[in-house]
Amino acid sequence: MLTGFFESKQGKWLLLGGLTVCLLLVPKFVTDIYILSILNMMIIYSILCMGLNLILGFTGLLSLGHAAFFGIGAYTTAILMTRYGFGFLSAFFASAVLAMLAGIVIALPTRKVRGDYFCLITLAFGEIFRLVATAWIEFTRGAMGIVRIPMPKIFGIPIVTETHFYYLGLGILIFTYLTLKAITDTRYGRAFIAIREDELAADTMGINTSLYKIMAFSIGCLFAGMAGSFLAVYQTVVTPSNFRLEESCLMIIMVIVGGMGRNLLAPLAGVVVLTVATEVFRSTAEYRMLIIGLIMILVLLLRPQGIFGSSSFKS
Amino acid sequence: MPILDTRDITKQFGGLIAVNQISMTVNKNEIVGIIGPNGAGKTSFINALTGIYKPSSGQVHFKGKEITGLPAYKIAKHGISRTFQNLRVFSNISVLENVMIGAHCRIDNPFHHIFLRPFRSKRIEHQAYEKVIVLLKNVGLEEKKESLAKNLSYGEQRILEICRALASDPELLILDEPCAGMNSAEMDTLADFVKKLRDEGQTIVVIEHNMRFMMAVSDRIIVMTEGAKFREGTPAEIRNDLEVQKVYLGEQEVE
Ligand SMILES: Nc1ncnc2c1ncn2[C@@H]1O[C@H](COP(=O)(O)OP(=O)(O)O)[C@@H](O)[C@H]1O
Ligand SMILES: [Mg+2]
Repeated sequence: MLTGFFESKQGKWLLLGGLTVCLLLVPKFVTDIYILSILNMMIIYSILCMGLNLILGFTGLLSLGHAAFFGIGAYTTAILMTRYGFGFLSAFFASAVLAMLAGIVIALPTRKVRGDYFCLITLAFGEIFRLVATAWIEFTRGAMGIVRIPMPKIFGIPIVTETHFYYLGLGILIFTYLTLKAITDTRYGRAFIAIREDELAADTMGINTSLYKIMAFSIGCLFAGMAGSFLAVYQTVVTPSNFRLEESCLMIIMVIVGGMGRNLLAPLAGVVVLTVATEVFRSTAEYRMLIIGLIMILVLLLRPQGIFGSSSFKS
Repeated sequence: MPILDTRDITKQFGGLIAVNQISMTVNKNEIVGIIGPNGAGKTSFINALTGIYKPSSGQVHFKGKEITGLPAYKIAKHGISRTFQNLRVFSNISVLENVMIGAHCRIDNPFHHIFLRPFRSKRIEHQAYEKVIVLLKNVGLEEKKESLAKNLSYGEQRILEICRALASDPELLILDEPCAGMNSAEMDTLADFVKKLRDEGQTIVVIEHNMRFMMAVSDRIIVMTEGAKFREGTPAEIRNDLEVQKVYLGEQEVE
């Protein structure tokens, strides 16, 4: 009876509302800086993975370059705030827009090339981004990265402590969720899924598949740009090593482990599991990828659709 | 004036002429059948009409407008909807979502309305949902609307694919071997359904091997062999045509 209620529309919103209230209350009970910092990293990955799910889970495009769009957002905010005196909000906005524009440009070839070639393009773009960030020293300060990114202020309120950043991040996360929910509940979300399922059939349903692939990809990148902007002010430092291929892979694994597709919140389960795992094994850095790989294999063996994925991905 | 008018449609694959100068017309509210042995070029012809392939030469006119070589999604918007010989439902999503996707190009919900006019956007989506539910009721799939498409029986998936095509309110519906893999009871149900659609004003082109089905539903039949139009006539004329029988008997010996 209760489960029935929680599956109804009101029930779902009530559940989400309850969850939000709990998340808002977290800093009242958790004062440990270390734990808060882990929560903040989880928030950043959650924003990234929700966007990636639109690209991978809905539209079926494999992007190995998501970290580069994250990086574009981070560097945009870092450079605008350190050199051009931008405030956080305008830098945040610029980061999102620039990451989205880059997403549009990278997604343009999807009109012509097959999925596997597109995957290689995103891989190449990710590497090019990292190389440029490392080599273009005058602009990005190379491997040393951009440091002393100013403290962000939102409508005059300075964001200083881990708790402040927690609330800022949570705000961006909720915004991401609501935006993606609004989009995917319409014919646009269904069109993305149609492309994943059968692109030719989608075409004959009157879906301009080239355009929709670019849309899904660039919307996903928009949120990566927001996450990057947040990372920049949160860390106060950005370096090229924040945006390696390994990061892109980690995001994909998080989405798969959590569960891709319709359920927008499912990837967050993957974020939690993998962030905790990487923290626990932080001391054994060289085994990190091994542990991550093992987790992924374990989950895929036990629940092929991901922890919270719908059964539709079970073959 | 015919609703569909093709002139000398040709489709070549390298040296192979799969479709050779086919001209045909389809009038409003008519069911035109296309028969012919395997490899005759029926599917290629339909693909050239619906934008899956660009015709090598010839023209397609639909409702008086030329649509030759347009991309498939634009042709769908013009009002031609189709099913596929080898079934292409969206397997991993629900029956309901399949048909909702079929209605995609008739849902008047511009992207910016999602944010700027959210109530209108929701209303339009809900109207589409209600129309789709009526459609599902008509074909008896309403109870299974939450099932994944791949969990339906083969015959039901065929019906679902037709239902998805109908969701775009097509002015011309093209069915490519809708009976393939159906048992004879399912086939009779389908024949009744197709005739009911015609009675409601639907214009249909249907490709099918099964002669009993074709004789039951077609107003006019076109016979294709080796890419070209071989005969055209009423079902009775086609049935009594000795040369057509030869083509078909030859085919059945091979099978
Ligand atoms: N994409 C393609 N590339 C090359 N040859 C093709 C292609 N599609 C169909 N053909 C060829 O065109 C001919 C007609 O095929 P088809 O249109 O499928 O016939 P039918 O539907 O009447 O059985 C066949 O010889 C087939 O091998
Ligand atoms: Mg065929």
